[in-house]
Amino acid sequence: MKRLMVLVGFMLMVATVLGSAPAPAAAQEPIKIGVIYGLGGAAAPYTKPAVTGHEMAVEEINGKGGVLGRKLQLVVRDDQSKPDVGVREARDLILKEKVNFLTGIIHSGVALAVSEVAKEYKTILLVSIAKTAALTEDKGHRYAFRSTSNTLIEGRAAAILMAQQPFKRYAIAGPDYEYGHRMGEDFVTQLKKLRPDVQIVTEVWPKLGERDFTPHINALLQAKPDMVFSSIWGGDHIAFVKQAKPYGFFGKTQYLAIGQGDLDVVVPLGAEAPEGMWVSSNYTFYHPDSPANRDFVAKYKARTGDLPPSGAAFAYTSTYFLAEAIRKAKSTDTEKVVDALEGLTVETVHGPLTIRAYDHQSNKGQYFGRLKKAPEYPFLIIGDLQYIGGEKTMRTLDEVKALRGQK
Amino acid sequence: MIDLGILGDPAFVAVQCLNGLTQAMFLFLIASGLTLIFGVLGVLNFAHGSLYMLGAYLSYTIASLFVGRPSAFWVALVLGSLGVALAGGLIEAVFLRPVYRREELDQLLVTYALVLIIGDVVKFAWGPDNRSISRPAILAGSVLIGGRDFPTYNLVVIALGPLVAAALWLLLTRTQFGRLIRAAASDREMVGVVGADVSRLFTGVFVLGAWLGGLGGGLAAPVGAIYPGMDVEVIAESFIVVVVGGMGSLTGTLLGSIIIGQLNAFGILFFPRFALLFVYVLMVVVLVVRPWGLLGKPHTR
Amino acid sequence: MVLARRTAVATAATALLAVPLGLPKFYLLLATEILIMGLFAMAFNLLLGYGGMVSFGHAAFYGVGAYTCGLLLKKADVPFAVSFLAAPVVAAAVALVFGLLCIRLTRIYFSMLTLAFSQIVWAIAFKWYSLTGGDNGLIGIPVPSALADPRALYLFTVAIVVLVGGLLWRLVNAPFGRTLLAVRENAERAEFVGIHVRRVQLAAFVISGGVSGLAGALFSLFSRGAFPDYAYWTKSAEVLLMTLLGGPYVFLGPALGAAILIALNSIVTSFTEYWPVVLGAVLLMLIYVFPGGVTRFFLVGPTAPARAPGEPR
Repeated sequence: MKRLMVLVGFMLMVATVLGSAPAPAAAQEPIKIGVIYGLGGAAAPYTKPAVTGHEMAVEEINGKGGVLGRKLQLVVRDDQSKPDVGVREARDLILKEKVNFLTGIIHSGVALAVSEVAKEYKTILLVSIAKTAALTEDKGHRYAFRSTSNTLIEGRAAAILMAQQPFKRYAIAGPDYEYGHRMGEDFVTQLKKLRPDVQIVTEVWPKLGERDFTPHINALLQAKPDMVFSSIWGGDHIAFVKQAKPYGFFGKTQYLAIGQGDLDVVVPLGAEAPEGMWVSSNYTFYHPDSPANRDFVAKYKARTGDLPPSGAAFAYTSTYFLAEAIRKAKSTDTEKVVDALEGLTVETVHGPLTIRAYDHQSNKGQYFGRLKKAPEYPFLIIGDLQYIGGEKTMRTLDEVKALRGQK
Repeated sequence: MIDLGILGDPAFVAVQCLNGLTQAMFLFLIASGLTLIFGVLGVLNFAHGSLYMLGAYLSYTIASLFVGRPSAFWVALVLGSLGVALAGGLIEAVFLRPVYRREELDQLLVTYALVLIIGDVVKFAWGPDNRSISRPAILAGSVLIGGRDFPTYNLVVIALGPLVAAALWLLLTRTQFGRLIRAAASDREMVGVVGADVSRLFTGVFVLGAWLGGLGGGLAAPVGAIYPGMDVEVIAESFIVVVVGGMGSLTGTLLGSIIIGQLNAFGILFFPRFALLFVYVLMVVVLVVRPWGLLGKPHTR
Repeated sequence: MVLARRTAVATAATALLAVPLGLPKFYLLLATEILIMGLFAMAFNLLLGYGGMVSFGHAAFYGVGAYTCGLLLKKADVPFAVSFLAAPVVAAAVALVFGLLCIRLTRIYFSMLTLAFSQIVWAIAFKWYSLTGGDNGLIGIPVPSALADPRALYLFTVAIVVLVGGLLWRLVNAPFGRTLLAVRENAERAEFVGIHVRRVQLAAFVISGGVSGLAGALFSLFSRGAFPDYAYWTKSAEVLLMTLLGGPYVFLGPALGAAILIALNSIVTSFTEYWPVVLGAVLLMLIYVFPGGVTRFFLVGPTAPARAPGEPR
């Protein structure tokens, strides 16, 4: 009996400690932005610089007096790349931290799960990195936005590029989860539309986090493709490239690696990156050579001593979208900021980007080209660089409407 | 979509076999430490993957001190794995020694806590970026096998596996230390009775196991990326190898590694989208049919 | 005495469970989560604490429960009551199949087989896009409007957890519970005195799996989704840690462990991303300072042996 009381007492104590809720926000308090990323594991090379990117943008904006006379403030949370943790952190940010807006997210599953929370609590979620097309397609709603491209935009862009090349025999490689399969499908569908004469000779689907790609490499070579389209990314891409080289892989077939012109893989690969490999990239510090990009690179270098990886650019862009929308809405009221974000154009490091009013998808595209040596850097950069804008490949409104089951 | 025609090309099959064998030897190097520690100490060391990760990171840091020199890789491999062995000794003495008399679950919990702590320490110390080191120049190329390129480095790894297995076998059967280890593995109380210092023996075994884990990490470093989180996949795979081969059995671990290596190499040809499932299905089958593993001993501890 | 005790328990429980209703929404959600995970941990502990069987794969049943409830609601348009109650039934059925094979093994081999099975469940949830939504998860489960409000869902959770928790309490105090303990203490002797050891263990396995499935179903309502992670081994580790933290030899220990772990997580993660290192430190403290769990430390005292010889309280 006494023991039971001790237990009850202890639990009441915990409840009381937790009950001391923070005071509600006053009018002149900062505008709070909740930031959610998986900060560990394979996502970390993107998300750690992303946090820096958000911080840079916020400091710049606050240095100029903030937005509507109020400072921006970030509250960063780790979702551990798990949707249920993402949901918990999002609710925590909305209910306890009383954030005005949510941004961030790299993991597609987390993005879709948190999007549901955003819908339920009528809070804006501006996804900065995650690329699952569903977020702005069939799963889209009034409060979900994305400031970057998606798998469909990138898969189609790659198809446009490849359709101009003489390759006939294609192989598909990708990590064995939604992202890899969607990217492959979107690419193949578009490519076959543009070039009915191509054929898919084989597919390999190594699991995410695979350490040994040699069986896949051998299987790819056996099929004798002209071109391998691959969505293997990050550490997996590094491992694939290093393991494939001694098989003479890059001399026997061409290889297009989606998103792998980014610094987070190009820098560690250094001189081991195969010259001439086709890549796409989310962001490059050398293109576009615009004042906005030069300024961003200089600031990032001054702050960290490094060149900005793509994660920083993703985050910097999403923060400016939010700030501009608040400015345009002249309010932090969610409904007014939603209206302001719809159709909003912002001058970014990629040039002007617009979030389409209907589906809340940005027209951010991808940089394509082939890796080449550059005397001034200890790593390879993208040569023959071309930017394929999202407006060329994003779904038409009719397509989105059909996906959403609307007329 | 199963097409057996691909097996009609002997050169392809040979290379695929060697690929599976390379993977098997990597697995064996890592899992042998795990099985050794389990066999003697009775501890299922969750932190073994963390030691592997530590080996890779230490190799990276040491190699970058000697960058440009042909010996960089070898120095890094030796010093890095020794560093991990040292860390293993500390872990055993500080964290595990007080809990040997406790339930297995408590020991497991200690090693799980270490997984969490080492993971964060690595993330904090080395940062989130992907890291990479190069193969030593003389092993960076390839040799021709049946008219196809095969990486020299992988051949070395294939050779190294049996070498390490043989060295361990000699150590276990031909030395006093080895006899004590085997005695301890079959009856921990007995070793104390015959007067051997059990505590020192346990530390020695853990250091050896940790060194093997670190060596595996150092050897795998040049053919993969080094990043926080690389410990997770490894520990899962080594567990499976050890369970399939027989917990505590070195030869079983070797056999388990070879089976899993070949299963992965050929499985992906026929079921390219189900690689995730192979090893777990194998694990279930072995545990149901022969719970103590292929070469393990039927009695349970 | 029995009546007084029951009244006291009922009063204490009511008081405790009413507290969150007066707290801001965030804490109400936290309390809901604690209750659900507490139920999961108590179900898990039927095997660990009472049966002496260490499952590394209980996430399988939790995941199956979550997906069953979610899929029936979302894809089959089945009435809520049926969907919800189907979850523990399906989870128990899966537990029966796994259990038949698992209970033949002991100790680490038992643990490893449960782990392998749960990883297969995870892989299926992860891969079967057309049904489960794959790694994106099953999102937007339609929760009936009566439960849409967090207070309503909290009360519903309280009702389920108290009811099922009470049933578990009766079960462990019934002859079945004592038989299970006898099997834990010495399976050979239990067999010798005429107990059908495997049947008892299988029954415990199935009940534990079923209740875990119920917890999973509750959580799918709570998070409005089901995700492969629910069946991943890290979820199994989570429930194991909660149980050990609270103490497996006290009936409510695992639930207390869930409360501590979830509350601590909520506090720590608002300050730092280095939650794992904090959790690791807590585990080490559990080993060296609170062996046998927090409840043992507070209720019995730190000097007591780590393992209670007799009946758990």
